[in-house]
Amino acid sequence: MSKQRPPTSASARRRNSNLTVLIVVAIAATMFCGALFVGGGVWFFNQATDVDPASEADTPAWSPDSAELTVAVSPVMAPVFAELANEFNAQNQQTPDGQTMRVAATVAEPERMVAAALDNPPFQAMSPDSSLWLDRLEQSWLAQSGGQTESQIPIGQRRVSEQTRYAVSPIVIAAWESVARELGWPDRPIGWEDIQRQATRDENFKWNHPSTNSAAGLLATLAEFYAGAGLTRGLTEEAATDQATLDYVRAVEATVRFYGEGEEVIVDRLAEEGRNFLDAFVAQERVVIDWNQNRRGDPLVAIYPAEGTLWTDHPLALLELGGREGEFPVTDNQRLTYQALAAFLSSPAAQQKLLAAGYRPADLGIALDAAGSPFSGTAAVDWREPQTTLQMPSPAVVDVVQNFWYYTKRPTNVYLVVDTSGSMEGTKIDRTREALAAFVEQIRGDRDRVGIVEFASGTKDLVPLTAMDEGNRQALLTRIGNMQAEGGTALLDATYDAIELLLNEDDSEAINAIVVMTDGQENESFRSLTEIQRLLRSAPTPPVVFTIGFGEDADENVLAALAQLGGGQFRRADETDIAELYRIISTYF
Amino acid sequence: MNRTRLIFVAIVVVALVIVGAGLLWANRSGAPVDSGLTVDRPEAVKIRILTALPVEPWVRSAAQEFNAGDFSVDGVPIEVEVVAADGLTALGRYDRDEFGALPPDVRPEDLTEAEQARLATFPTAWIPDSRYLVELANAAYKERLGRDVFLTDGEYRARPIAISLFAWGLYNTRAEVLEERFGAIDWSAIHDAATASGGWPELGGLPAWGFFKLVVPNPSRNVGGLAAMIAMAGEFYGRTDISVEDVTNPEFQKWLKELMGAVTDFSSSSAYTAEDFALFGYSVGDGGQLLESDLLQNMQGILNRWEDPLQLYYPEYVTWFDFPFAVWVGPETTALQKNAALEFQRFLLSPEQQQQALAYGLRPANPDVPVDAAEDSLFTRWADQGVQEVVPRTSAMRSPDRDVLLALLRWFELNVAQ
Repeated sequence: MSKQRPPTSASARRRNSNLTVLIVVAIAATMFCGALFVGGGVWFFNQATDVDPASEADTPAWSPDSAELTVAVSPVMAPVFAELANEFNAQNQQTPDGQTMRVAATVAEPERMVAAALDNPPFQAMSPDSSLWLDRLEQSWLAQSGGQTESQIPIGQRRVSEQTRYAVSPIVIAAWESVARELGWPDRPIGWEDIQRQATRDENFKWNHPSTNSAAGLLATLAEFYAGAGLTRGLTEEAATDQATLDYVRAVEATVRFYGEGEEVIVDRLAEEGRNFLDAFVAQERVVIDWNQNRRGDPLVAIYPAEGTLWTDHPLALLELGGREGEFPVTDNQRLTYQALAAFLSSPAAQQKLLAAGYRPADLGIALDAAGSPFSGTAAVDWREPQTTLQMPSPAVVDVVQNFWYYTKRPTNVYLVVDTSGSMEGTKIDRTREALAAFVEQIRGDRDRVGIVEFASGTKDLVPLTAMDEGNRQALLTRIGNMQAEGGTALLDATYDAIELLLNEDDSEAINAIVVMTDGQENESFRSLTEIQRLLRSAPTPPVVFTIGFGEDADENVLAALAQLGGGQFRRADETDIAELYRIISTYF
Repeated sequence: MNRTRLIFVAIVVVALVIVGAGLLWANRSGAPVDSGLTVDRPEAVKIRILTALPVEPWVRSAAQEFNAGDFSVDGVPIEVEVVAADGLTALGRYDRDEFGALPPDVRPEDLTEAEQARLATFPTAWIPDSRYLVELANAAYKERLGRDVFLTDGEYRARPIAISLFAWGLYNTRAEVLEERFGAIDWSAIHDAATASGGWPELGGLPAWGFFKLVVPNPSRNVGGLAAMIAMAGEFYGRTDISVEDVTNPEFQKWLKELMGAVTDFSSSSAYTAEDFALFGYSVGDGGQLLESDLLQNMQGILNRWEDPLQLYYPEYVTWFDFPFAVWVGPETTALQKNAALEFQRFLLSPEQQQQALAYGLRPANPDVPVDAAEDSLFTRWADQGVQEVVPRTSAMRSPDRDVLLALLRWFELNVAQ
């Protein structure tokens, strides 16, 4: 007999069936929801924990598929490079995954470029004025990496992964044609020693070279050390630091009118002041071509130093990033953008543009003496030159030359005239403290002296000129750290006081300068611009006056007038670049 | 539907939901849906060829032609990517295992997706400057993996694709003065010129030329610099085989340092030294021993930029570069990639491509192709400047072993670079 199932009602069966379906659906729904919950939770956790380093600590960051390449460019190449980058961007080249290639240029002095490139740089490629900076980058990178073991092949661990060069230009002594003729040009070779001799003989001879953080400044300084040591090659640390060498360099440096940012600023000043400004200056050959092509008035000629010169060779180098903690690697698309940019810079159109700007293009197919070339039909530059170059010493000797230059260069007396009126309250005074501190850190010569005139409704604090040894530097930094914002703006009184203090020093051997900064309108001074002008004119060698308008409310008319009276420059700044501006001004000393 | 069926259906539904959600999730996170489930035939087989700088322009041009052609392996089209790398730099990267070779007990299928993606960039083949660099790389991997990674015999053996040698290149005006003074151009004459304290006037040249300036590539960036140092040692000792003792001999080191003292700047001498030589002209170098193909490629550029042409001379102790095409035989690359590399190697050795190499100043590895086989051969074009189709009787320098190489590079780092 078969076992019968107990009879059930239809509703009971339906109930049971519904219950089962409900259970199953509930299980399925629970599992599905669970999967979504777990998945969503993981996604949310990832979102929450994948902290954007940029938001955490201002670390440079870019997306993994970014095709935007930021290139740090030396100031001397920046204007032409910016034009070329715009042309490249206008091509709208695409990566295989559809990203548009973009190049952004950021201007940086080569020495700072190298320092930045060592750790989390905000750029992926760099174009300094000379390969010597890439060499220094590699040396520093290797030193930071702790070197290699004895058994390893000691090559290939580099910060630079790809490298090309797109234009070159020799460094020359640019001089007015009449000045060059007085020196013997073009009948006899003229060397560094001729310029140095002329400057020490004739106190009215005004010449300039940039500071050693650019190739032109470094070359001019090396040439002085070579001449001082009586060598043209094989400069050693011993020869460079010999007292006789240092005395010679110090005597020559005493004839330099000022240092400064480099050739672009010099050219602007030449355009404004003409021959009164300088007789000769050290720059790339292209500056001479550019000047003669675009300016009216006296022509410049390029003197190729008889002892030898150096070349600026404008490398474009892609960095190998990602080796530091938190450092973003260069993306595949950025690498493609670099390669496309390198190809673009080598293209006939770009190379012709560089030639037109006075550079010698890297494309050896372009003859410099061809019709239409800026090198043909002029005696101001000579494509057959230079005949010889100075030997570049080892990086260790270059370091020594750079460091000792600070002790041989012309000393500086500089007063920082700082507005700490009520309007500076908040982040402005914070940024100002930082900028002043950076300026003080930048002044490295043991014979350089810095003073501060802090003003509001009147002079609030005065720190007389103080030699920048370590103790005084720390004391000055403490004073800067204690600055507080309150009161009105007696700008002209403070400026007058600073000039008077400098004139009382009567130190004609030094570069005397004041750097005036304000964010507001002159409203409480007893002195006038006319009185300041009278004071400056009373001095045989008046100090140079640099002025900074901080923010949009600064009294630009007064500041510009002060700079003009003092033979300096007026610059605008905001909270993002005030520190950089103070640093740039420090290169003038 | 009874309860059992319902439960069965429910389980199936639940399983489908789970699989569906899983696939959805995997898709969302970017993982390929079919990974691990199906084996697809690739649309193209991509191969990366690490290529030494002197042959890179020719190989790149050949690769473009190859990629545009109808080349395939097992029916799969081949795509060649050429990556330029100085031979010594590439050796350094192999030496440090920077490309990421797999340990002996790891297979590619054991790797995570990220690791597999990284392996996709592993070079399929390497064309270094010289066979001895392949031997040095093999030595490094033998220690690490217990086997060679580039074969010296069999189907996948390294085969030279072109050859070139080191020759003297001197600006004409300077060469005439040196010949007048010393007779033959050799390292001994160059050493005497380099150490002349009165510079060019003492040698019979013009004062404007300054000191004699030697061009030597930076050995840490260009294998040519190392080749020059080996050639210097060969002539100093009058033999072709150099040992570590020879390198560390104080007398030799003094002589070598005096020679290197005539180099004006190692910082700006990039990996492309002959190009620099043309770009900066006699201002940075009066002459040097450089790769013949590099010199030939830059002859016209020199004529465009400087008044003085370059004159070539062949030394007695010669260093040859044979540019071997070496296929990586490890599991990091697929069989398809290895065979695709062989296909490209055959293409490079074809008579047509070997003739193309003549336009780059390279001597064909294929003995059936003479150096004057092409109209645009640089050997016929620059014959008046001392280029010889048949190299005079010379002694070939033997390849240095790893210890000699390290000794020379360390000496350079300590005595010149720093």
